[in-house]
Amino acid sequence: MQYELKTQVIEPQRQTFTHIAKRYGDKPASRYIEGSIDVQPKEHFQYRPTWDPTREIYDDSYSVFRLTDAYSYLDPRQYYYAPYVTARSGHHEAFATSLEYIEARGLLERLPDGWRSVLAELVLPLRHLESAGQLILCGMARFGWGATVTQSAAYSAFDRVGNAQVLSRVGIALGGGTTDLLAEAKEHWLHDAPLQGLRRMAEETIVETDWGLALLRLDAVDRLVYDLLYQHLDDEAVVSGAPAYSLVAQHMASWFADNRRWIDALYTAWREDPELGATNAALLAEHGAAAVDTALEVVTPFAARIDELLGGSSAVDRITTTAAEVRAAHTGAAA
Amino acid sequence: MTLAPENKTKKAKKLSMKARYEALTRGLDWEPSYVEKDEMFPHLDYEGIKIHDWAAWEDPFRLTIDAYCKYQAEKDKRLYAVLDGFAQGQGHLGLTDASYLNAMKIFIQGVTPLEYGAHRHFAYLARHFAGPGPRFAALCQSIDEIRHMQTEIHTLSNYNKYYSGFHNWPEEYDRVWYLSVPKSFFEDALSCGPFEFLIAVGFSFEYLLTNLLFVPFMSGSSFNGDLPTMTFGFSAQSDESRHMTLGLEAIKFLLEQDEANVPIVQGWIDKWFWRSYRVTALVAQMLDYMLPRKVMSWKESFELYFEEQMLGGLFEDLAFYGITPPRHVEDAIKEKEILSHQVYWTLYQFSFAAAFTTSAPSDEHMDWLSQAYPDTFDTHYRPLWEKEKKNIEAGGRHFAPGLPQLCQVCQVPMLFTEPGDATTFAQRESEFEGEIYHTCSNGCQWIFEREPEKYRQAWLPVHQIYQGNCGGPTVPEVLEWYGLQDGDAGEYIGSRDHRNWQAWQGEAAADTATPDETKAGA
Amino acid sequence: MQEQTTADDPQTKGVRDVGVVIQESENNRPVIEAIEADNPGCSVMHSPGLVRITAPGRIVITQETVEEKLGREWETHEFQMAIVSYFGNIQEWDDDEIVIAWDH
Repeated sequence: MQYELKTQVIEPQRQTFTHIAKRYGDKPASRYIEGSIDVQPKEHFQYRPTWDPTREIYDDSYSVFRLTDAYSYLDPRQYYYAPYVTARSGHHEAFATSLEYIEARGLLERLPDGWRSVLAELVLPLRHLESAGQLILCGMARFGWGATVTQSAAYSAFDRVGNAQVLSRVGIALGGGTTDLLAEAKEHWLHDAPLQGLRRMAEETIVETDWGLALLRLDAVDRLVYDLLYQHLDDEAVVSGAPAYSLVAQHMASWFADNRRWIDALYTAWREDPELGATNAALLAEHGAAAVDTALEVVTPFAARIDELLGGSSAVDRITTTAAEVRAAHTGAAA
Repeated sequence: MTLAPENKTKKAKKLSMKARYEALTRGLDWEPSYVEKDEMFPHLDYEGIKIHDWAAWEDPFRLTIDAYCKYQAEKDKRLYAVLDGFAQGQGHLGLTDASYLNAMKIFIQGVTPLEYGAHRHFAYLARHFAGPGPRFAALCQSIDEIRHMQTEIHTLSNYNKYYSGFHNWPEEYDRVWYLSVPKSFFEDALSCGPFEFLIAVGFSFEYLLTNLLFVPFMSGSSFNGDLPTMTFGFSAQSDESRHMTLGLEAIKFLLEQDEANVPIVQGWIDKWFWRSYRVTALVAQMLDYMLPRKVMSWKESFELYFEEQMLGGLFEDLAFYGITPPRHVEDAIKEKEILSHQVYWTLYQFSFAAAFTTSAPSDEHMDWLSQAYPDTFDTHYRPLWEKEKKNIEAGGRHFAPGLPQLCQVCQVPMLFTEPGDATTFAQRESEFEGEIYHTCSNGCQWIFEREPEKYRQAWLPVHQIYQGNCGGPTVPEVLEWYGLQDGDAGEYIGSRDHRNWQAWQGEAAADTATPDETKAGA
Repeated sequence: MQEQTTADDPQTKGVRDVGVVIQESENNRPVIEAIEADNPGCSVMHSPGLVRITAPGRIVITQETVEEKLGREWETHEFQMAIVSYFGNIQEWDDDEIVIAWDH
């Protein structure tokens, strides 16, 4: 009997859920779409939050950046949970392979002194910056409006923990299997002058309650720091005999490229909103430019220290150029 | 894929699981000096909880990001393979009966949105707790909850293509009367401070009642030929065991940090036990009435998963800290004999305004209920159904004429009876600032009177209908506002799903009023 | 619908049961066998799709026994692929063993 049934053609009553069909027509929808669109409750909230009685449980007034339709923002990577963890599983496996290779060949022990100092003094302390990113993005995952936004933010927050662990594992390897360098890195983070601007920015952004502004600031710093450490210095490492650095950098760089895709898509959605687009563009120009200016200010001493340690790596020049490009992208002016 | 450990035999100097976990997850915090710590974590004081040492938080799972991603990716690979195979092979035709899916309709409408809410608010804990250990555990749970929401949607998406009642769940959650039961429950938790939320959802919901809620339910899926639901259920439960651990660790952590926390936590346990328990009323009727092939009765699962495991096990452990079993637990125990019958009888009468269908139990079904409930079913409930059988034979299936009055706290219709007396309806009244509020039980009245300023804010669907805020004054207008389509509501026999099912099954299954006991199964 | 094996009642002398629920599948059978081997006083109950193992006071899952039953390497994190639920407290989750017990 079961055999017969399989040959029977059964017409579906509908191809997708009503809320999906209203937007895209009644046709089969992707798992990203069905698992993300319109899933946040939006009306008849029962009680005011005790932690902020002026708002609703979910509220679009937690940022100056708003969308007429929250779901005009879609993650271009179409990450729902399954492809997200699958991608990250591959990412961490690839990093583990690199680290095994680095350790098997003793490449960390063979790093030139300047490079070792860059890693220990400047790169390892950034695990704390990743930890700040985790907090900032968790705030966005809670206070954002719409499930496509909160989902992207939560994955990105989780990524920051992953990044901190990648840096920590490098630190453990560089410290000969001990956590000594991680403890030292924390002291650098707390006290070294080249890192204080970054730490101040991190603390001030954590307490920013507007998740959109907080994201802009985090992103501005990321764009200078990641480009400098994992693009620019990667090239430098290749030519100056520091392959261990390059092997680590490639993984951070590939994560960064992936992460920027959802953020750029969000900026685009803000700018192209049919009703709020002009307002959002003006806000992006104003706050985006301010975020880049602050980022350049706080990353400059960090870059200068790199130049010092490596004997001229044009790190300061690099971040200055990047900052000008990012600023121009926000303000819509030519670079 | 084999899941062999990485280079286990190499390197003697590898850190142990514990040392590695601590190195990677702890020590990331620092004392801020450019802003005040209170400014960074502003919500930690107002509930009165005192934390002296956040580092005392233990996370027994010791999962690092690489291990988390590896195992979660593997779980999803297995799950989605099952979903794809089931969809391609028209697996839905192997269910015991299309009426089984009523349980799953309530699931996607009433439970899936809670998973989303949990994603949001565990992110809140991951932002607002001042310790990296609990923050990381909360962040894992925040994205796990996205997983649960999505695997539920993706599992039920295939049924949505062929059956009624699944298609408009997000809007229904925000609007439909019986769905304000889970919605008001969860929004109550979302509006709490971080520690109360942790006890409400992390402990009371995820530890105290999770087994009762989900385990029999997933066995029910397995027993009724719903392989995808069983698979997502078990797969989600494997995350759930991590969440249970978070809940249990949370309560012990709070109790150990300061003695002054004990009475506060006790109050939350008292409140959230009853609040969560009232939501399980929907599960009780699913188990006893909606599964064509029965797994275990509500009473049996309550005894096993709550009385034996929680009262007999957990609360003995918590007694060490001076914690006593939840207030009103005796009322819940008395109700185990009658809960599912009273709830289903109500849903049966009001399903004309619901996104699921109901039907009177068959003779065989009633015999099973008599066996499962020897002290109550034949005395109180069989007579109702025998009378209804006559109505149906006379062509007059009973629907209630109006709309039910809802409890101000749990928002379940006022259908419950006095503890220990199945014939007298319970109704409690409380006055607050000159207004009278009605509650369904001692538990809900106690909760109301603890925080009247909160519960008077409730968006009670039936009140809202009478006030004209739900599409219009007539039933058809309200149903349209609910987004219901033909076939979603009412009686199952003769419904669109029933007619389709009969056509698809051919003559062999023509008599589905009494589901075929030989089909499907574990 | 449920069958119970190894049936002595463990609810004696105030020792409270702890338990673990595992999905019944080909993959998990060696894990279940390992738990039975390492916890001689346990009771095993089967219900659709599930195996529920209870024991007075304590249940231990050891890496060595699971690896022996499985015939391959197995890290304790993998237990997350099998577990559906538990009651008790997870006291230890280390490289070599997992222990479920009540604290007090």
